[in-house]
Amino acid sequence: MDFTPIIDGFGIVLQPTNLLYCLVGVVIGMLIGVLPGLGPAATIAILLPITYGIEPVSAIIMLAGIFYGAQYGGTITSVLLRLPGEASSVVTVFDGFAMAKQGRAGAALGIAAIGSFIGGTVSIIGLSVLAPVVAGYALDFGPPEYAALGLLGVLLVSTVGNGGKLKAIIAAAIGLLIATVGRDSFTGAERFTFGNLNLADGIDFVPIAMGLFGLGEILYNLEENHKKVHAPAKVTKVWPSRQDLSDSKGAIARGSGIGFGLGVLPGGGAVLSSLVAYAVEKRRAKQPERFGRGAIEGVAAPETANNAAATSSFIPLLTLGIPANATMALMFGALLIQGVQPGPQLVDTHPDIFWGVINSMYIGNILLLIMSIPMVGVFVRILKVRPAILAPITALITMLGVYTVNNSVFDIYLVIVFGVIGYLMKKFGFDPGPMVLAFVLGTLIESSARQSLLIFGGDPTGFLTRPISGTILAAIVAVAIFPLVRRAIRAKRGEPAGAPAPTEASPAPVPDRETTEAK
Amino acid sequence: MTNVRTRTRIASVAGAAALALALSACGGVKTASGGGGDASGGSDYPTKSIEMTVGASAGGSSDLISRAMSKGMGQSLGVAMPVVNKPGANGALVAKALQSAAPDGYSIAIQNASLFAITPLAVSESEAVKVDDFDIVYGVSRDDYVLATNPKTGWKSIADMKAAGKTIRYGTTGVGTGAQLNSALTFATAGIKATAVPFDGGAPNLTALLGAQVDVSTMQVGEAIENIRAGKLVPLAVFSADRVKFLPDVPTAKEQGFDVQVSQYRFITTPKGTPQAVKDKLVEAAKKTFATEEYKKFNEQNNLTPLEIPGSEVATKLKADLESNTAKLKEFGISLASNS
Repeated sequence: MDFTPIIDGFGIVLQPTNLLYCLVGVVIGMLIGVLPGLGPAATIAILLPITYGIEPVSAIIMLAGIFYGAQYGGTITSVLLRLPGEASSVVTVFDGFAMAKQGRAGAALGIAAIGSFIGGTVSIIGLSVLAPVVAGYALDFGPPEYAALGLLGVLLVSTVGNGGKLKAIIAAAIGLLIATVGRDSFTGAERFTFGNLNLADGIDFVPIAMGLFGLGEILYNLEENHKKVHAPAKVTKVWPSRQDLSDSKGAIARGSGIGFGLGVLPGGGAVLSSLVAYAVEKRRAKQPERFGRGAIEGVAAPETANNAAATSSFIPLLTLGIPANATMALMFGALLIQGVQPGPQLVDTHPDIFWGVINSMYIGNILLLIMSIPMVGVFVRILKVRPAILAPITALITMLGVYTVNNSVFDIYLVIVFGVIGYLMKKFGFDPGPMVLAFVLGTLIESSARQSLLIFGGDPTGFLTRPISGTILAAIVAVAIFPLVRRAIRAKRGEPAGAPAPTEASPAPVPDRETTEAK
Repeated sequence: MTNVRTRTRIASVAGAAALALALSACGGVKTASGGGGDASGGSDYPTKSIEMTVGASAGGSSDLISRAMSKGMGQSLGVAMPVVNKPGANGALVAKALQSAAPDGYSIAIQNASLFAITPLAVSESEAVKVDDFDIVYGVSRDDYVLATNPKTGWKSIADMKAAGKTIRYGTTGVGTGAQLNSALTFATAGIKATAVPFDGGAPNLTALLGAQVDVSTMQVGEAIENIRAGKLVPLAVFSADRVKFLPDVPTAKEQGFDVQVSQYRFITTPKGTPQAVKDKLVEAAKKTFATEEYKKFNEQNNLTPLEIPGSEVATKLKADLESNTAKLKEFGISLASNS
């Protein structure tokens, strides 16, 4: 491997102008990550016109900074306000918010920052070394593999969340149903659109997430207000204790690997990776019932994984010219505006951009770590504001944020509708998490499965004969059957003393009813 | 508390911006209601900023073209011409909004030919967008389609593909797109058995072809060109009357004996009934933009061929294309909607 271009790349990043743009990018990123409703995709879209006048390398460095900076910032609202700004922060809510309620918000944010830094850095190193190699591997993932991955994701959905398992499945089923709204992309037929053109492309993720989590939570809190103090009094220790660090060590290591691996896949791995990382920790844990009640691994794993995935999602863009998600699509657009065509030749034709962007991430991650530890205290003060003041402001910013994504008033109505649904779900003890995640995976499963069948000429055994999809399907079967088998064996041997007899189907050792908050 | 104040300030600034937007929108409507009886007939146009809507999200070619045009035309007209993205339903959302906007020249859009000449073949009558519902001001540029394969297949031409003697799985960028129409017509004319695999847009379609998940794909030249140059894709044919200058070595489908030539082109539209004086000013501004070096360079970089022709010619072309597409689909018994 020739290291000259990499070193030249550092030379480019360390120019004062580029350092400044990197700093501007990560600060904006963190800020919009904290402001619920305004995601990196919307921000980059808004800033796109500004990049006309900036040097290509500087522009991309800034935009990249916004993207991964937002991953840091999103954690803060997930933990403190139970408002995930991005789909990839949804699972952080479960334990992050629980920790905040126990007064351990500082430790949660601290470990998330550390995990994000490690995950991001591991991923950048991977990006530097593997970018050229991974190109070929990513392409082996065709529709059959995505269909199988999506199924695995839905299976995992039922193990996350802190409502009952049955409620999680109901919520997930509704999520899958909502995913079918819109024009059938195979036949052009309208499904559940009621002749409304706004629904022709289906429902966007943003209004659903903002409604269910954002507005729903605000409404619910208004009701709960007089009963209890919602916000933790203060964040005492931002730096996690030695115990916290040793608890999350493994989670961070595994999260880095999972995030890097899944983030590379075109189609967007940040959501899946945070979900998988969380589920893996929960499965490995000696006391899985701690999850959903403030387990620090439950924050460390998904936060590490989503940052690692955010970074590695640059691989398909920079090596193949394939945007892995909406934000990468905007990056693609930004490069095109600058007259740079991302593709397999980018590393040869524009090594300055290729290595400049990658190396800027090392610097950006260090800047973020330096900023987030002391600044956490600043952000935490938001929580001291009375909900009567904070709630309307958050609601307003949410609405504005949703509007700016597509300039669509219809999306505002959607947020209100899903806000009411989210409120009712919370009130009746349903967790909106599985619904949102199933919604995200629903479209992927449907279109990939149908594409696969077209490719196979209608023969479903094709899923089993392809090596990767076959392996994933085998894993699904194993994951689904294993707990049943274990239960059967246990039943044969007689219930071990101390363990309560599971009366309802509860394959995974999930704490069932007792965690249902509303009761 | 300082933090709260900052947040409040951000919110109020944002609120003020939203209010300003709302006010200017109201203003637009008011001007419009008085606009019909306006004696000036648009001779003092433009007096305020012109909103250009795009029916696609930021970053795609429709968006880039709109931004390049708005920059040039705004400078020439001396007013701001903000580009507003309203993605949805292949651009039909913008079409509906534009149709009902005031015909005063302050709402314009650059629209795609496929929405008028191909999509109607795949969607219900009520959803189909019609040429006569708009004033077409001027043509902008053309984007050609290329049929490409993965090098693993070893094919170099449409004939090679036919000689393979198997059912071809071809990727398209979606139902009712030029990519789908070109492929379907080619396979029908050549008598090749084929199954369409629709993907949600250009990027997944390209990925599937690079990974040899499908045998061939049709996509816009700009989407494929980097991979063609890198040798990761082999072009089989371009679907245009003459060879595309960005891919001079690639024969057209017609040269290979299959008369299929559907291309994507874009043009400036305004709501029906926009005063002629206003349209003339827009045409003048567009022509000035076309003449700039910056814009020419933009076309080159994005593999776009200029299609700078008067609006009436664009309208005629759109109608002719819709007619010929309808006739051809009928002739071969193809339905874009049922995925045959």
